[in-house]
Amino acid sequence: MAAAEAAGLIAVGAGLAVGLTGLGAGIAEGNVGAAAVGAITEDASLFGKAMIFMVLPETIVIFGLVISILAIFVM
Amino acid sequence: MFKRSVRKGNYAYTVTRVKAKKSHLLREEDYDKMIQMSVPEISRYISEAGYQKEMADLAGKYEGMELLEHATYQNMANVFNSILGASQGELATMVSAYLEKWDIWNLKVILRGKSYGLTGNGIKEDLVPAGKIDEAALDKLISLESIDDILNEYSRMGKVKFPADVISDYKESGNLGVIEDYLDKLHYQRLLDSISPYTQPTKIFLDYIRRDIDVVNLRTIMKLKSEGIYGEKVMKYYIPGGMQIDSKFAQLLANAETVSAAAGDMSRLDVFEEYIKPVLDFDNYDNKAVVSAIKKYQEDQAKKMAHMYPLSVLPVIDFMVHKETEVRNIRVVARGVNSGLGRETIKGLLVI
Repeated sequence: MAAAEAAGLIAVGAGLAVGLTGLGAGIAEGNVGAAAVGAITEDASLFGKAMIFMVLPETIVIFGLVISILAIFVM
Repeated sequence: MFKRSVRKGNYAYTVTRVKAKKSHLLREEDYDKMIQMSVPEISRYISEAGYQKEMADLAGKYEGMELLEHATYQNMANVFNSILGASQGELATMVSAYLEKWDIWNLKVILRGKSYGLTGNGIKEDLVPAGKIDEAALDKLISLESIDDILNEYSRMGKVKFPADVISDYKESGNLGVIEDYLDKLHYQRLLDSISPYTQPTKIFLDYIRRDIDVVNLRTIMKLKSEGIYGEKVMKYYIPGGMQIDSKFAQLLANAETVSAAAGDMSRLDVFEEYIKPVLDFDNYDNKAVVSAIKKYQEDQAKKMAHMYPLSVLPVIDFMVHKETEVRNIRVVARGVNSGLGRETIKGLLVI
């Protein structure tokens, strides 16, 4: 019973780790994406740089994903 | 949440565009170079600095000084329209309320043009379609014959209701000044109303506009005083809503018979010590120098607030103030060069 409860809590934690980091990345990408499109509108040569800034917030989700994988498979 | 963010405005997008545009503005060294050029050389120089499209569009119609003046105003109108088009939500509300001054400018030009019997094309040449009323709508206003029709049409377009006493005052005196003064006051009233002071950046913007009202009032008071007008006549032009110059203080300044008599009270103003005092010469009062000093104050105020909140209306307003200054500076340089003014004199008239 206790083992089942622990497994359930781990699953909830893993879900929260991915879900909340996803939300954070979404909020960050909203602003970064809008700014990137604004910059490209003024100067199309900035596309490459804007793309790099655009994907930076994605790293937050990767951190969340790593934590959730560790939670599920290592703990 | 999404509805709220649309209502709030697309700051990231608009501010980035504005910052990109700001990086192309002319710098002090550009003006130093331009002062040493002739008018055609200045035209070529600014063509390479972002005015190329407007210069090319208008080159068939105008030349020399006229081309430069029309192209700079047209460029400013295009840039402001692109900012207005890019902004959404409360940002768009504030930007359009700020740009309403150009609608009012255009209406004044049309009214004056009609009353002096100018042709439609003659009036059109002096318009700056940088506000929310576009060129097609302005053409419609120009096509109307009487002042009454123009005012009625503008009331509909700009959602303005001219009070009966303003209209009757105008009809009695035949003086368009009554309507123009009302429009100036209305613009600031509507601009103040468009800013909701619930966030720190909008509070700062509100204070900036209130300071702007102060300098407009101060400019009017000093100009009239230098022409020997004081007292109640000056108060007719007073715009309410300022930060430091309330109606009581304005009355105090207005009642002083000369600029030197008002200087003591003026020293209470933020703008006085650092900006006006150094250029104030009571024996040989130069209103142009004072106006330039006041412009510099406005620009510095805009600069100060621009970096406080990057994702807010403040950088947008800062850019628009700087763009207006740039256009003014280009015209000052070109006119100065055209009329053979000395380099130092021209430089003294610039706001950098």
